[in-house]
Amino acid sequence: MTTALFAVAGAVAVVAAVLVVTSRRIVHAALWLVVALGAVAGCFGALHAEFVALVQILVYVGAIVVLVLFALMLTRAPTNPLPNLTTGRSPFAAVVAGVLAVLLGTGVVIAFGNEKVDPVPAGSATDVGTAIFKTWVLPFEVLSVLLLAALIGAIALSQRKKAKED
Amino acid sequence: MIATAWRVAGVGFSLLVVLAAGLLYGVSPDQAAFLNSSVGDLTIGFAVRTDDLTVLMLAVVGVIATCVQVYSLGYLHQRAASYHALVTLFTAAMVTVVISDSLFFLLIGWEVMGACSYLLIGHYWERRDARSGAIKAFLMTRLGDVGFLFGIFVLGLGAGTFRISELDPAAISPGLLTGGTLLLLVGVVGKSAQVPLQTWLPDAMPGPSPVSALIHAATMVAAGVFLIARLYDVFSASQTTMTVLAVVACVTMLFAALCAMAAVEVKRVLAWSTVSQLAIMFSALSLGTTAGRHAALFHLVTHAAFKGLLFLCAGVLLHQVGSAAFVVLRRYTRRGRLRKALRVTFVTMTIGLASLAGVPGFAGFFSKDTVIEAAWHHARDGSVVGWIVLVSVCLTAAFTAFYCMRMWLWVFFRTPALAGALGAFEDENATADLDEPDTSKLRDAPWVMLAPLVLLAFAAIALGYVDGVHLDWVIASVSTVLVLLGALPAYSLWSRGADPRPVLLEREFGVGTAYHVMFVVPVQLLAKLTVAGDRDVIGGYVRGAGRAGTLASQGFRKLQTGNVQTYLTAAVVGVVALAVLAGVIGS
Amino acid sequence: MPLILPLLLAVVLFCIGVYGVLARRNAITLLMSFELMLNAVNLNLIAFDAWRVDGLATGQTLAVFVITLAAAEIGLGLAIVLLLFRGHGHVDADAARDLAEQERQETPELQEKGAAT
Repeated sequence: MTTALFAVAGAVAVVAAVLVVTSRRIVHAALWLVVALGAVAGCFGALHAEFVALVQILVYVGAIVVLVLFALMLTRAPTNPLPNLTTGRSPFAAVVAGVLAVLLGTGVVIAFGNEKVDPVPAGSATDVGTAIFKTWVLPFEVLSVLLLAALIGAIALSQRKKAKED
Repeated sequence: MIATAWRVAGVGFSLLVVLAAGLLYGVSPDQAAFLNSSVGDLTIGFAVRTDDLTVLMLAVVGVIATCVQVYSLGYLHQRAASYHALVTLFTAAMVTVVISDSLFFLLIGWEVMGACSYLLIGHYWERRDARSGAIKAFLMTRLGDVGFLFGIFVLGLGAGTFRISELDPAAISPGLLTGGTLLLLVGVVGKSAQVPLQTWLPDAMPGPSPVSALIHAATMVAAGVFLIARLYDVFSASQTTMTVLAVVACVTMLFAALCAMAAVEVKRVLAWSTVSQLAIMFSALSLGTTAGRHAALFHLVTHAAFKGLLFLCAGVLLHQVGSAAFVVLRRYTRRGRLRKALRVTFVTMTIGLASLAGVPGFAGFFSKDTVIEAAWHHARDGSVVGWIVLVSVCLTAAFTAFYCMRMWLWVFFRTPALAGALGAFEDENATADLDEPDTSKLRDAPWVMLAPLVLLAFAAIALGYVDGVHLDWVIASVSTVLVLLGALPAYSLWSRGADPRPVLLEREFGVGTAYHVMFVVPVQLLAKLTVAGDRDVIGGYVRGAGRAGTLASQGFRKLQTGNVQTYLTAAVVGVVALAVLAGVIGS
Repeated sequence: MPLILPLLLAVVLFCIGVYGVLARRNAITLLMSFELMLNAVNLNLIAFDAWRVDGLATGQTLAVFVITLAAAEIGLGLAIVLLLFRGHGHVDADAARDLAEQERQETPELQEKGAAT
């Protein structure tokens, strides 16, 4: 049951991901990204990580993709298909990525080819929350500081340099 | 200030040596060893001794050194401090050689003398000939010193001791004895400028004249004679070595005398005569008899007096006239001025030349007769070496008289046949340069320079009588006839205004040229090859590395496209390649 | 469910992300490809967490952290992209070559000096 669910979600994710990197319309690519991330969230759910799946949808689909769309708007991205959205190196890049995939896939198959996974329902918000605030509280705090730094950095970067013009 | 201090120190030290000789005179022989250290079975260290030979040599060295130091006060003004310091060190080194009873201690003095001679010959280092002469002297004596060092090893190891007084020829196996003494002989030949290492001594003439006097009369070249006299038991125990020594000495004395006959510079004539006279001493030593040793030492002492005197006289000529070349001196002599202006020099130089030529009544006459007598006695006993030595010494006596007479006449006297004399020492095309020099300002040297001359001139006569006059009348008359036979042709040639100089003699038998071709040219070629190799091969690598770096950096700069995606692509390709590599190696 | 299934999915997603990063022109699509790669990582974390149940929910916690990091990263990245747009008037990563080696005038002199020394 979960395997079938996972397989369907995975297939959707792969197709959406391919469309993300090949679509000629850049806004479409962003929207395909939503599909891909959602499908991945479905995969999380199939693996009984329900909380992470929810966070994925909330943060990624709800925040990050919206942010990307805003950025597209701000950079006046055209909505019509662009002929040269990929560089001239794309065939070579495809080869590289393919070789990398073969390499990693081979490694994974060799290492975990016979392992079975039996997802147990241990991904509830209670479980993850307990783990975060009991065991992983220190990394959590550090992460909050990092978020603050990223916030300040983003503000500093996007600020218009008024001081220079004076 | 420093120069004054060194002048005082130099004169004081030489007087000290004389004083030491005086104090040691008549004291019974003694020896003392110090600072000994054991190396295996051997004892290496310092040792000194006093005996008759030491006292004799100390007296000679002291007197000559004093004369030279005093004379130098007037002679030398350029870089006087280093000059006097080096002369003092030179004297001290000779004293070390003389008093040493340890072969290694002796070697130290021996080598210090070599270094000092190099520095002193090159005193006028602005002059090219002085520099090359100094290097030549250093290299050739050094070549001999290698043999000397190994001779010490062979003898010391063979005898089991490095103490000279304990060297017992009977305790050394004959092969080692011959080998060791032959090796020592190489050092002696180098130091005393015997054939085939003779060329450095005439080329050392650009050095200051007092130094030449010191080197030729008392110290450096006499050290070779002294060494054989010191190790006489050891040397005379090896018949081979003595024969080699006799052959070397006989060849050298004739060779050098012939060269002296054709030299056209006062100091060069004197240098060759030194080589020749030293060879006479060696020939006396090579007889292997007590009389021979005595004759050699006697000749050494008288030679020290008159050769020192002659070099100091030559120094006066250089100092007052500015040159000791015959061609320059002739210009003064043609007016007859030289003899009258330099009266003291003329008289003392005459005494010195007479003594060198062996005119009866002068010291050189007696000492040479002693040598001839010793050779005669040895020859009479049926020794071939004795006969060879006898004939060589007699021939040399005649040659010596010839070149002494020639020099005396040409330097100091107007030629009766004036017209012929004009071109005698000029090159063919140099006759145009016949400006008469201003002779009116010519003065004799200051008394501080003349006093040593007078003292040595006295010695050059009186030393002949010190040993007690015992003349074999036959030998004395024969040698007198030989002197006349040598002197008369010289007079005859001079009176006709001719000075024939065979090309072979003038070029000194081409030995210098031959050595130049055999050793200097190949070494220079090798040096050029080395330089070329360094510059073009090794330097090529260096420059190539630099050029390769420049080219590579120019190439790599093209890779910096500024495109982040290109960089990333390269990075990912690298990661993939590394992973594949790791997989290949790991499997 | 075989463990290999989520792992292979992660591999495929990651390599699609790599291709996007290497081949896409627009800087914002680059950022999107980054997100795909990060998701592949998250998938790995979740899969391994389900495989070895350790009671601490390590993989899931880490996945949450990674999502947080991704949010931070996209915020900064977009700020940089906006800066690029403000400076150049476009967001073409292929055309942004300010870091390229500039051909300078003194280059021949330098070469001569290098050759002389």
